[in-house]
Amino acid sequence: MSFKHYGSRKSGSIGWLLQRITGIFLIFAMVGHYILMHYTPETGHSYEQSVARFSSVYWKMFYLTFISLGLWHGLNGVWSILRDFKMKPWLAITLYGIIVISGFAFWVLGVSTALKF
Amino acid sequence: MKVEKTHEGYFKLVASYRKETGGWAWIIHRISGLALTAYLYVHIYALSNLTKGKEAFDAEMALFQKPLFKFLEWLLFAFVLAHTLNGIRIVLVDFGRGSYYQKKAFAYLMIIGVIAFLVMGYFIFSHEISQIFAGLI
Repeated sequence: MSFKHYGSRKSGSIGWLLQRITGIFLIFAMVGHYILMHYTPETGHSYEQSVARFSSVYWKMFYLTFISLGLWHGLNGVWSILRDFKMKPWLAITLYGIIVISGFAFWVLGVSTALKF
Repeated sequence: MKVEKTHEGYFKLVASYRKETGGWAWIIHRISGLALTAYLYVHIYALSNLTKGKEAFDAEMALFQKPLFKFLEWLLFAFVLAHTLNGIRIVLVDFGRGSYYQKKAFAYLMIIGVIAFLVMGYFIFSHEISQIFAGLI
């Protein structure tokens, strides 16, 4: 990515499309997530039930997808907000670096939690 | 090409725009999006405690049952609702014929949002609410 004209060199159309596709996934995932977490306090918040979910292959696959797409959607959104500002190249590189590195670090943290069980 | 610097700052510029439905939806979407991304980091960090065993996790969950955290959770739901429902509107505008009815769609979706927010408030505080009524009778 060229940071000298970071706002203009690429159209950003792939990011735009993926932002919508991940967004549509997150609508359904979020509805399910909220029902599960708040239908009863036990289903959502007890240690046993949480571990039982992370121990199931299907739940694990769901959570890995949820973490990955959720983080990507959020951080791509943050970056597209930042792209609206006229940033100096050094600032753009720094902020982009913070987004990528912190996003990757938290993705690893989330994935390692899900894979532990 | 040299880009001329605007005299106003970004926020002053945005504030000066005449805002209709879309303008407000755009602002709400950005603020809620930033808040939700920040929350997602906290959420992943908090749940990583799951690997530290039952005691550490249960102690953390007990903390989140405190009224302050319940209230914050309710507030979080407002951000989730605003972002999700307006996200539906954005998808309809971009992929469907949403531009013909986006103002109406925004109004209806926000009404749904307010109702869902209140219903969720009942679920989150159902214990407290039933205690209040138990005290009255």
